[in-house]
Amino acid sequence: MAFNFNWSPLTADAGFYERARDLLTTALNKSPKPPIIVDDIFVTELNLGSVPPDLEILEIGDLAEDRFRGIFKMCYSGDAFLTLATRVQANPLNTYISAKPSFTSPEPLTASSSLTIPLQITLSEIKLSAFIILVFSKQKGLTIVFRNDPLESLKVSSTFDSIQFVRDYLQKTIEMKLRDLIMDELPAIIHRLSLQLWCPDQVPKEDEEAKEESDAAINPLATPPLDAVDAHGHRLDPAEISSLSLDGGPETQSLFSQRNLEKMDALACAHRTSSLLTPNILEVVFRAWAGQSDKPDATATPASTPNLHRTSSYQGSVHTYTFSDNSSQASGHALSRPTLVSMGSATTGLSLGSGRHSKAGRKKKMRVVNLRSKTAASEPVSEIGSTSSQAGDSHSEASTRTPMSEPVIPTTIREVPEDDLAASQSKVRFRPPTDATTSARASESSGPRAAVPSVPVTAQPSRAATPQEHVYTRQPSMFPSSPAPQTSAQEMPPSYSSRVSEKAESTASIYADAKGQQQQFQQQQQQQWGRAGPQPDMSSVILEQAWITKIAGEIARRVYDEKNRNPAFWEDSHQHDIPPPAYEPR
Amino acid sequence: MREFMNYITNAFYGATGWNEDNKYNELNATSRELIDFPLPRGLRLTLSSLATPHFATSYQLGSVGVVDGSISYLHSSIPLTHIAAQSDKIPLPALLRCYRRLHDLRSPGQQHYILDADPLSGLPPSPQSARALLGAAPDAAVAGGALDGGNTDQDLGIYTHSLLYGRLYLPKSLLEGMIIKRFTQALQVQVRAVSEQSLRNGGTILGLVQYDKGKYGLEGLYSTDGGLLGFRGLYNFGGDASSSTCDPWTPTPGENNNNNNNSNNGNAQAGEKERIYGRFSVGGELYYGTLNKSGGMSLGARFATLPAHRGTPLTATLTINPLMGNINATYALLAREYCSLATRVDFNVYSYESEWAVGMELWSNRRPAGFLLGASPSNDFEPESHPPRKKERSFQAKMEWRLDDPEPEPEPEPTPKTKKNDEYKGVLKARLDNNLRMGLLWEGRAKSLIFSIGTGIDLHKLGEPFRSLGLEVQYSS
Repeated sequence: MAFNFNWSPLTADAGFYERARDLLTTALNKSPKPPIIVDDIFVTELNLGSVPPDLEILEIGDLAEDRFRGIFKMCYSGDAFLTLATRVQANPLNTYISAKPSFTSPEPLTASSSLTIPLQITLSEIKLSAFIILVFSKQKGLTIVFRNDPLESLKVSSTFDSIQFVRDYLQKTIEMKLRDLIMDELPAIIHRLSLQLWCPDQVPKEDEEAKEESDAAINPLATPPLDAVDAHGHRLDPAEISSLSLDGGPETQSLFSQRNLEKMDALACAHRTSSLLTPNILEVVFRAWAGQSDKPDATATPASTPNLHRTSSYQGSVHTYTFSDNSSQASGHALSRPTLVSMGSATTGLSLGSGRHSKAGRKKKMRVVNLRSKTAASEPVSEIGSTSSQAGDSHSEASTRTPMSEPVIPTTIREVPEDDLAASQSKVRFRPPTDATTSARASESSGPRAAVPSVPVTAQPSRAATPQEHVYTRQPSMFPSSPAPQTSAQEMPPSYSSRVSEKAESTASIYADAKGQQQQFQQQQQQQWGRAGPQPDMSSVILEQAWITKIAGEIARRVYDEKNRNPAFWEDSHQHDIPPPAYEPR
Repeated sequence: MREFMNYITNAFYGATGWNEDNKYNELNATSRELIDFPLPRGLRLTLSSLATPHFATSYQLGSVGVVDGSISYLHSSIPLTHIAAQSDKIPLPALLRCYRRLHDLRSPGQQHYILDADPLSGLPPSPQSARALLGAAPDAAVAGGALDGGNTDQDLGIYTHSLLYGRLYLPKSLLEGMIIKRFTQALQVQVRAVSEQSLRNGGTILGLVQYDKGKYGLEGLYSTDGGLLGFRGLYNFGGDASSSTCDPWTPTPGENNNNNNNSNNGNAQAGEKERIYGRFSVGGELYYGTLNKSGGMSLGARFATLPAHRGTPLTATLTINPLMGNINATYALLAREYCSLATRVDFNVYSYESEWAVGMELWSNRRPAGFLLGASPSNDFEPESHPPRKKERSFQAKMEWRLDDPEPEPEPEPTPKTKKNDEYKGVLKARLDNNLRMGLLWEGRAKSLIFSIGTGIDLHKLGEPFRSLGLEVQYSS
């Protein structure tokens, strides 16, 4: 389904451009400018062009007379352009001096004298590609959230195109500012306009709030991070955006709460200066405390309580304001419902994978924070749910069906191949709304049964088939049967079989991470199992990982093939699934 | 107002005989201080102390909306005994005077910087004093200790002094540190560092190598921030700098037998100085940021009258930034001993932007806010009222048709002069620029506190003219 934009009447309105220009001018001058820009930024020309954007509906979550909630995909590569005028400081030494503490300033005499030059910047060839989450209700107006960074590319042409240094700087700065504008200001503007249209009585209050916001935004250091959203729907503040772009952008953040990472970074840096800062890092158990809290956690983790935590943590993620968190979770959640149940039973199941989403009730989880930079391009955290539903479900329906009293601690697998997940996830996540979620979920979750016969093909000894069967025929007796392979850990294939069932729980946390972190995590996990469940052999872990990677990849591939071959077969298995909580009308 | 620690640092320079004005970035210091004097903001209290001759502390408490403060310590390896650190004794001109006289170029070897007296005070524009300065200073230098043989161990001992300074700003947790180390007569190294969390890499370090040969002064610097490399140089010629006697390390034979040839020498010098009575300085600076690949430069020239000049002391500078097309000219003069004026014009040949600013400094020997502090009639009215009342000729003299015998004057001249300097109670500074922004600052002493009250006024917005208000109180012991 696609929209047909009526693009020209929008521009036919005489006052439209003026209004838009004013709004843009105020929006551009709202945040503090870099020292190189010495004047206000004025929007002198604005043209939306003649090519409308492409808009595609990916999902409609809620539809009623007075409300609407949906996810769209928007692509734009039109001929719109925008011309800005301002004045810039052309002396690099001047901007250098102005940003430095005066005590160590080299105090040049007039080498830093200012030379301001009027500057015209034309932004053209704007290419946008965004997933937009749109929420509309008659009471609250229209809310738009960009799920990713919509700006793909942009051409900045200016007065200084001949000077490489200035041109690069401008390109960089403007792209950054425009990202802020689109992600922060545009939703606010649209929201305000929609309020004016539909509920004028709320407008004055809204204006006040906006004013407060703008007042607070004058000092960027004093305010908490703004609501910038990165490619995966996580909140970022502008400073962080710049730093992230230096370190390779969104790849850097995967497992852990960005904020906590920032705080830890600040803590690590604090000893270099005389700063007395001790940031308050939430939801972290320090090593020193781990001794006491570890034990009860590992030994007595009933499968049901984490389940409760799961739901509460999802509720908790709503108040992060960027609805993208919520809804991205929701989309993942919808697909991965069965997996989540099983994952909840693991001691460190999804909690590691989606660290920042679990806000409430998970204080006892132990996390080892690894600040090493990631080597592999990690998967988006918010997609863990959906991806794990692919691989995880396919093997571990059993664990969802196991009785709640069953000790499920050792049922965690070590490794899931990233490639298969990455390949399959994009196909599943955004699907035409024609019963996509349920069918996908159904097909995937019942996948294992079809995959069962095929799995042992890959050089499994005959013994391996037995636990496999246990797993996929969902017999609660699986776990009593599995300790044998667990303890005799030197025998790789048997131990694999139990690992397969473990897989579902740790997959979400593991696959997104780099290798080094995995091992650390696993060691820790094993220490926990050491108290609660059968003792796996540490030395064989790496070997097992490689093995499991291979097997799991094979399984995932076969599941996918099977599913494609015979989609109707999967339909009937999961009629009883509850709707995803994110789409429940509120 | 110079901060107490700056005052102490200057005293250190004076004690070690370092001429901190002989460098390029002090080229237009006079007009800069007359025009760009800092205005206090909010309320600020400073308690300082020169606890021992080697050690000074200063505590500052300020309030501009939020309360902040700083603690600073300073250690000098040379005893700073020759200065007055008590706030009721600090000579105000040393602390507040903006107009800077040229220092003698021989300065690196001798203690020219005597803070106890106003450098302007003891110099009535008379040829005598001019000769005294031109002649006596070499005398002192030569007598003081074999300047040409300045590399003796004893002298090295004098010169290898160091100063350590640290300051912690409290709520910000900003730490400043400075080391000044003198290696030889002509070589001095400064390292300054700032540590703060918000800075990249947690802080910056600036290193300065200063080389002063009297006739020329060179300076190289490196800043860790952006890898900035800089080089500055200043060369003096004309006036005293051009005369052969002026090479500080090779005194002419004429000076050694100064007593005999004093008049001769003085006349010769005076004849030479008659033509110029000033000193020219030219210099330049060059910067290059090794990390951000940007640079900057400027060239400058200055003409300043020597202290021996009989007329109005003046300083004129012209600096050019050829890269940015900026031309900057300043002119400052000491119209009276109690009044200094300065103007500055900026023009950019590329953008046609121009700026001007004027500044003024007025010294007053009246009691500050006399109506508040008891309004006792100040002493200086009485001497003024007495001299006009001429003594009548004595009856004896009238009868004998002759004038009175000239009374033997007890020569009270020098003492009242110095006393009068001490009587300066305050100074009013004002500036105005082309945006019609005005700055007013009164600084002075009341009891043993040194006050500084300033305000910024925007004449464009007459309805709400006061842009800032501030009061600084400084006490030191």
